[in-house]
Amino acid sequence: MIVFAASDKGGTGRSVTSANLAYQRALNGDHVAYVDFDFGSPTAAAVFDVPSAVRGTRERGLHSYLEGGTPEPAMIDVWRQTEHPHLHAWPNQSGRLVLFPGDIGGGEFATDEDALERCVDLLLRLNGEFDVIMVDLSAGRSYAVDMALAATAHPRMRNVPFRWLVFHRWTRQHVIAASGLVHREHGIIRGGVERGHDELALRSAIRFVRAAVPDPESAVWSQGSPAQAAWMQSCDEALRRLAAEHAIGDSVVLGIVPLEPILQWREQLITEEDVLATQIANKETLEALEEIARRLTDDTYWGQP
Amino acid sequence: MTGAESVTGAGAEPGTAGALSGSGAGSGAVFRETTADPRTQAVPLSHLSLELGHLYMEDFEAGPQRLREHFARVRPWADAARAAATVPGGRRPRVSTCFLIDDYFARFSSPAELVPLIVEEAGRAGLTVDYLARESGCAVTGKVPVAEAVAGRIVESPPPGSYGLRPPARQTGWLANGERSPVARAPQAMKRAVPWEPPKETAARRHSVFLDVELWSDDADGHRLWSCPFLAAVWQLARLGLLRNEGEAVFVAEQPDPGAFPEDWDELPSLVRLNPRADPFAAYRTASVLPSRFLPVEHAVRVVLDQLDVDHGALRQVAERSAREHAAVPDSVADRVSYVFYAGP
Amino acid sequence: MARPEASAPDAVLACGEVRTRLLPTRQALDIRSAAQFLALRADERVLLSERPALYARSPETLTGVDCPLPSANGSRVRAVGTVAARAALTEGRVLQTSAYFRLPSTGPDQRRPWGHYLVRPGVVEPFGKLLPEAIAEGVLGGGRPGDLDVGLIADGLLTRLLRHPLLDQRPPLRSRPTRLRWAALPAAPGAGPSLERFTLAEDDLRTVRLRVPPAIPPDRIAGLCDDLALHDWLLTTVVHLLDGVRFGAPEPSARPRPGDDRPAAVLALRPAVDHLLHLWMPRARVASELAPLWDTLERQPGFTRQWQALVQRIRDQLTLHAIPALYREAELTP
Repeated sequence: MIVFAASDKGGTGRSVTSANLAYQRALNGDHVAYVDFDFGSPTAAAVFDVPSAVRGTRERGLHSYLEGGTPEPAMIDVWRQTEHPHLHAWPNQSGRLVLFPGDIGGGEFATDEDALERCVDLLLRLNGEFDVIMVDLSAGRSYAVDMALAATAHPRMRNVPFRWLVFHRWTRQHVIAASGLVHREHGIIRGGVERGHDELALRSAIRFVRAAVPDPESAVWSQGSPAQAAWMQSCDEALRRLAAEHAIGDSVVLGIVPLEPILQWREQLITEEDVLATQIANKETLEALEEIARRLTDDTYWGQP
Repeated sequence: MTGAESVTGAGAEPGTAGALSGSGAGSGAVFRETTADPRTQAVPLSHLSLELGHLYMEDFEAGPQRLREHFARVRPWADAARAAATVPGGRRPRVSTCFLIDDYFARFSSPAELVPLIVEEAGRAGLTVDYLARESGCAVTGKVPVAEAVAGRIVESPPPGSYGLRPPARQTGWLANGERSPVARAPQAMKRAVPWEPPKETAARRHSVFLDVELWSDDADGHRLWSCPFLAAVWQLARLGLLRNEGEAVFVAEQPDPGAFPEDWDELPSLVRLNPRADPFAAYRTASVLPSRFLPVEHAVRVVLDQLDVDHGALRQVAERSAREHAAVPDSVADRVSYVFYAGP
Repeated sequence: MARPEASAPDAVLACGEVRTRLLPTRQALDIRSAAQFLALRADERVLLSERPALYARSPETLTGVDCPLPSANGSRVRAVGTVAARAALTEGRVLQTSAYFRLPSTGPDQRRPWGHYLVRPGVVEPFGKLLPEAIAEGVLGGGRPGDLDVGLIADGLLTRLLRHPLLDQRPPLRSRPTRLRWAALPAAPGAGPSLERFTLAEDDLRTVRLRVPPAIPPDRIAGLCDDLALHDWLLTTVVHLLDGVRFGAPEPSARPRPGDDRPAAVLALRPAVDHLLHLWMPRARVASELAPLWDTLERQPGFTRQWQALVQRIRDQLTLHAIPALYREAELTP
């Protein structure tokens, strides 16, 4: 199963959330690959806490691979190479968690026919080795999104299942932008159909993740005044209406990630230790991530809304 | 095989290398699978294959006078090539002559009309045409896609620095004798585009003579037209006895029907023996006598021949037989080919 | 001059790399499809064999190289020539690409015309003299960037084959490709072949160091190493498969698969039975003079012994699950 992580704007927590989903799946026993196609700012190394391992892969990252400079992109075994204090020990019964980093200093680039073929080669290879392949795509209508659409429409990929997660924050601007990325002219659906995708099938394979959502019910906000609570409630309802009007309403939402300082500020993996021992992360956040990770392959959450 | 050429020794030599031998196999093995053994059919070989000319439609349209003039000019050079083909021990060298007609790029006249004319005009100059070949046969002979198979044997000469990574941009349908200028490609954001660099001949001595050869072109219907230099390279391989299809010889000479030559080129075999007493068609070396306008084509032929991985079994047979006869054959296939270019149309 | 031995100068070192992986198709290819799949050249046959197992091998292809040789002592000897590569399919299920070359001890001081190298297929000629020992270790240890890398050539052929339209890209089980690098130095005069070292290096890398009488052609050494790589891959793959299985009482929470109530262990082990367990056949494609090298591995660590233990474990698990759950879990629930 390939899961593409897309967002219209930066700052949605797309990279850090998708990395956490990959981590959750691996904890649960799946072999997981995390592919960093965020060509403009490849940052997955920081999230997985593998900066020195990534420095050792200079010129062998995904940029070089797709441009034909190296035949095998560098791969980093996260359990073995992470400097994250809680991840060092490969948890029992967990699957592999492997990061495919971009080149250090790599930038956005126009993809051509050769790059597309190599992209298909890579995805097919990973499909034979991993249960879940999480592909983090550059924000907006990027070359990376283009390549993902073209690759999944390629005849060689006809038997490889894929799904899309579109991340957006819970604000008016972000809701409108996320809907635009998927539904407007040159969006994922129209662009996909142009490349040979079946519209209905593609639509059925796209779900949204609302990120950094303040939960009015949460204890975090219970200190506020009743007026504040009422205002939050009404904003939340207005946003829900807006989302529904823009065809990204509750029926196509895979999950909601609460506003979480650790994701906003540190961009790291959230472990049980962070919740239980050091208590720097919220239990709700971890539960939300676990739930979204589970739903990635739960067919009842996918298909025609 | 309908040819009347006979091979001294075994008709087909079982390959020694590359068989799928298991631990029980080897010499004297009891169990054997024919599909698991590579075999290469041997072809008879002369010392020299001497080409007396190519005939194109333009030449034919210029009238019989052109042919007459051509053979008259070829005669002294043909004699010289024969004289140069000496054999150790003072024995008579085996030399066969051949003539190639282009029926691939344009169809003109007919075998019934043209073949007797060629034989007659050659005879007038004191030359005998032993074998006549059709250029279409270099593209496809019978059901064998000869040109396509040869194209699959191209192994490009590696420019220095080739360490095993496939070159990122390969020009399909072209073959060069060196490195092309880099193609301007959209660089990554914030990176600089590569500036222009000249092409470079790999075997250059100080300065390059860079040549890029078009091997084929495809039309809108996907029909592939092989280029003249590429077919000429196939022609050289045929004359050197180095063409095989799944181990079987291709381009085997056939005796023409005793009656008249056919009206249609397609009914004429790819290679016909006109002289029943001729030495074998294929040879250790080739010599071609051609007007100098063929110089660029034959330069291209050399670029192609120099980058062909020809059938290993066939190469080995030529090497073994020439060694038995003490006939000197250069290692490199391209070096087995020689030319005389005369001034003329 | 074109001597019969033109393609066989005295080699002081033969090296190669084999890539082994599962063919990504739902069903194994039959022998005719295998021939079609491996037809790398229009005019050369794919070699096919049906005894003792289905096996198909492509014609050899050549790749030109002109670069420094990897070396363990830091010397940088430039070499020019061709590396041979071929692909093989075992039982229509396991795909291997194998690239190899051999080195004479000395070569010319400058590059010759390309045709000189093409009539010596699979030979890479050094500029000047070389130390076989240092090159062998360099090859096994992996060179510096820009050094000759046979693995890339094996990988290039693999990539080309994996793009073949015959493949439906539906592998029946998750597995990882492996790489096996080998270097064969000449055996002492009169001595037979020997296996000096078989190393499981990084995750997917194995290295093999051999001594071989100089008369043995490198494609036979490659044949031995293909056979070692195939069986090492089988062991690796089945070990990983068993690694990922949660045995014992079913956990209802663990990865539910809608519409399939078979136990996870059965689901995970079934593909091994369908696609892998019948492939174990050491020495099937090894030249008779090299077959004894297998004995070394059978003694220590005991390849076939481990395989039999794995096969037994898989069969036991499947037998256990054939027993009605009521009795199977009886002693687990007091």
